[in-house]
Amino acid sequence: MDKLVFKIKKNPELYAGAVITAVMLLVILLGRLFVPYDPDAMNAADKFARPSLAHLMGCDNFGRDLYARLAAGGATTLFIALATVLIGVVFGIIVGAFTGYYGGALDEILMRFNDAVLAFPSILLALVVISIMGSGTFKVIISLGIVFIPSFARIVRSEFLRCKNLDYVRSARLMGAHDLRIMFVHILPNTFPVLLSSTVIGFNNAVLAEASMSFLGIGVQPPSSSLGRMLSDAQAFLFMSPGYAILTGVTIALIILGFSLLGDGLKKNA
Amino acid sequence: MLNVTDLHIEIEDSFIPETVVHDFDITVSAGEIVGIVGESGSGKSMSALAIAGLLSRKDMKKRGSILFEGEELLTTPRSRLRQIQGDDIAVVFQEPMTSLNPVKKIGWQVEEALRIHSDLPDDELKKAAIRMLKDVELDDAENIYDKYPHELSGGMRQRVMIAAALICDPKLLIADEPTTALDVTIQAQIIELLKRINREKGTAILFISHDLSVIRSLCSRVVVMNKGRIVESGSVEEVFNNPKEEYTKHLIGSIPGFTKIAHVTQSENTDKILEVDNVSARYKKITGYFQIGSKQKLVVKNASFTMYKGEIMGLVGESGSGKTTLGKTILGMLDDTEGRIVHYSQRPQMIFQDPYGSLNPTKTIGWILEEPLRINTDYDKEKRSARAKEMLSLVGLDESYLSRKPNALSGGQRQRVCIALALMMDPKLIIADEPVSALDVTVQEQVINLLVKLNKELGISILFISHDLKVVYELCSRIIVMKDGVIVEQGTDKEIYDNPKDPYTKQLLLSAGYTD
Amino acid sequence: MKTVLKKSITFIFTVLLVTFFVFIAFELIPGDAATARLGTNATPEALAKLREELGLTRPFFVRYFSWLASFFFGDMGTSYSYGVSVRSMLAQKLPITLTLTLMSFILTVAVSIPIGLLTSKYEDRAVSTVLDVTGQLTMSVPPFFLGILVTYIFGMILHMFTPGGFVSYNVNFVRFIGYLVFPAISIALPKAAMSTKLLKTSILSERNLDYVRSAYSRGNSTMDVLYKHVLKNAIIPVITFLGMTLADIVAGSLVIEQVFSIPGYGRLLISSIANRDYPVVQAIIAIIAMIVIIINLLVDILYRVLDPRLRDM
Repeated sequence: MDKLVFKIKKNPELYAGAVITAVMLLVILLGRLFVPYDPDAMNAADKFARPSLAHLMGCDNFGRDLYARLAAGGATTLFIALATVLIGVVFGIIVGAFTGYYGGALDEILMRFNDAVLAFPSILLALVVISIMGSGTFKVIISLGIVFIPSFARIVRSEFLRCKNLDYVRSARLMGAHDLRIMFVHILPNTFPVLLSSTVIGFNNAVLAEASMSFLGIGVQPPSSSLGRMLSDAQAFLFMSPGYAILTGVTIALIILGFSLLGDGLKKNA
Repeated sequence: MLNVTDLHIEIEDSFIPETVVHDFDITVSAGEIVGIVGESGSGKSMSALAIAGLLSRKDMKKRGSILFEGEELLTTPRSRLRQIQGDDIAVVFQEPMTSLNPVKKIGWQVEEALRIHSDLPDDELKKAAIRMLKDVELDDAENIYDKYPHELSGGMRQRVMIAAALICDPKLLIADEPTTALDVTIQAQIIELLKRINREKGTAILFISHDLSVIRSLCSRVVVMNKGRIVESGSVEEVFNNPKEEYTKHLIGSIPGFTKIAHVTQSENTDKILEVDNVSARYKKITGYFQIGSKQKLVVKNASFTMYKGEIMGLVGESGSGKTTLGKTILGMLDDTEGRIVHYSQRPQMIFQDPYGSLNPTKTIGWILEEPLRINTDYDKEKRSARAKEMLSLVGLDESYLSRKPNALSGGQRQRVCIALALMMDPKLIIADEPVSALDVTVQEQVINLLVKLNKELGISILFISHDLKVVYELCSRIIVMKDGVIVEQGTDKEIYDNPKDPYTKQLLLSAGYTD
Repeated sequence: MKTVLKKSITFIFTVLLVTFFVFIAFELIPGDAATARLGTNATPEALAKLREELGLTRPFFVRYFSWLASFFFGDMGTSYSYGVSVRSMLAQKLPITLTLTLMSFILTVAVSIPIGLLTSKYEDRAVSTVLDVTGQLTMSVPPFFLGILVTYIFGMILHMFTPGGFVSYNVNFVRFIGYLVFPAISIALPKAAMSTKLLKTSILSERNLDYVRSAYSRGNSTMDVLYKHVLKNAIIPVITFLGMTLADIVAGSLVIEQVFSIPGYGRLLISSIANRDYPVVQAIIAIIAMIVIIINLLVDILYRVLDPRLRDM
């Protein structure tokens, strides 16, 4: 028991982040499984209903159950974040591993390109991609995914640069291990601690970016629910029903808080 | 002048509070040089920092008494302590590379103590700083005054640190391993400098080191520490010539003091194992994207030598001499090389200097040891693991180590694993790059004995790369001396040690304290 | 000298790369400027004629460089939706977005530096913990939600401003600034929280370095160690962060303009994306890109001034 207290004291971010993230996931899961309302079912009688036993968080301007909608929106947001980060991590590892390990002219050119892309706020880049491809869930994933590749590539690359001159890599080379084996069997596992915390922080950024895009109306399109879109709808009824906006906003904020604390905690441990 | 009694230091940071220094007593009289010696983790630096008033972390509890000129430093308020720090007690630290503020000019840092403890105008401060820089034998002091730390070499920075410490003419100088990070010849110069300062200014010095021979040449009295306790103390002659405690005897016994281990005789064998003929190596330093101003630096210049089967050959030089590069070149680890290298054996292996970097931290020892077999043979899991066990026992580790990860091992154990790894493919030649310099003396001894055993029992030839003439003397039958990428001299141990021809070899032997 | 040369090459390379990216991105869109103007019902002859006039038949790189050249001389084409020159549309809105960005940036710096120093000074007191937790919470609030909260609390409850009652700079400058304070707060607070945290971490990690021990050993007080030794080292990563933040703030203002109904670049960009008014989108993106590149260059120069180790690299 004392030992747990000591561990928590040493890295409070990690534990707070894990708890918040777990609670948010649970709330969303429970909402998806046990709330007996269709998130898109309108009911004029329940317009702006106050929280009650029937509607735990009340209803929105169309009388849709808010908890059901938040859970559905949260799930969409998390799904998009997961897919986005996955694209970023997978391609980031490939680009980062090859550029970091081999270096040379290709590395220089790719890294210039990377730096140029990285200098841009992710939303802005995603906007460019969206304005070319059009909006929608799948396109949001692709555009954000592309935008996320450079940051992961840079992290993986710098880890590869750090590791490739370490003696254990030299020793593997001396044994006759070929390059791919050195890159993916010897070096890659050593990048995991750093990669893990960046992945979690990537989640945090992906949630924020997706919510911003949907808020601006260029992300997820109705009828799919999304937290950003809901918040944008709620703003119109801010004076009449502040709870709608506040509940939605707090949900986004808590998801981001959980991931960012978790990321910080993992970074501390790495 | 300084009188420490019953000092205890306790750290409450970790889960279980831990006493790192127990019952520490020491006295230093005016003008005296006293040494504290011990291996890493013995608590010697902690005690020294406590005396300097630099252990102020809140998780540390100190008890006892530190009397300096009759004043109790342990309980004195911070404001009073600050008046003493830098003025009466000054400190020089181990790492000259990091002990200076990277964004401030040298002059500013040398003057700092004087600026704090006096109200001299700027031009007087500058004069004093330049005088001080000259006093620590830095030529071109005016120029150095305006430079930043990264523009100076390690030895120069340590001189700067000493100048900064001495500018207020302190009564006591605490020197915490000030020469450990430096090359032998520079080390010797710094020791001479400290001796001269002590002689001329009468500054008392408290010298902390793990290196017994340095302590012996510098101090009049010594305190030996182990695991936070004082093991023995007394005059240097007493302690060195007539050690009372077991630990001290052991410590003194393991100083590589120019003694041969067992009988490493020169091999009679005239079969060659390695021939290096006119080899040069350069590092390409690419500074621009399209190689604008790419610099080429020759690190090894026209090296030639031959190694015979079954011998242990020493390759000696200071940092930057190109000895490691030559080793890597021989194993084909560098791209840009010239000359001819002929191997008369299969799969020569290398043992690296840093036992912490040479084992992949994410893998188990078993996995690491099996990797060469996985790559080069079609042995099944059982056969691989059997070979790994065999090699582990050969280096003196049991099979329980197979499932451990490198960070659960000590430096000495890791170096044994590295040796076992080198042995996996049954090599006839091993290049060992400073294999013991990152280890404590007592562990050094064990690893060297292991190498000698491998040489004798398995007939493995070893090219032993080192900066340490004493260690090389212990086990090598022939020696190559390198300086600035060039082999300046090579010959048998007798020729090199007893009849050195090159002035640089002579200087190296002198700095290492070799007298026949 | 070599550094200057290298930096200039990098700068030019980045400008070309980014503008090329922007250019090619809009080349990929199905349908070109001719179809956009004449509509999908236009005759092929009319389209071909217009294409010739607009220079769309020229080789790709010629078009790129002529676009780039006219962009730098201020000719950004004509808006599809409004038929007026993009340049005049943007020039009119520039002061709004620029003021908002600058106000947010100044607020970020003005809040984070003093608080960062304060919380690292009282590292293990309750004040510091309270500030840290507040900061952590603040940085998790998305700026657009913060904007909504600010609207609700300061606008609807406290009546300190009228939500939606934006006044342009050429109508009443004081009221213009007065309105922008609130969106600026919404953008700045999360950024300030991040920069505070970074400054604190940076100071705390610098404090463990050897040179700090040397500074104490010479008799420096804690304050002197912080201000004369640590700060100049610790501020270096914060400068990088603030440079990146400035770019982020530009993006943040695009979103916040939507929340507070401010007719700046953000609203124009969003409506232009919705209307497929590509010359406007292209111009805004290119301008923001140039601003970001220039900020990066300035940060790089500042870096070298602060850190002597980088000067001869």
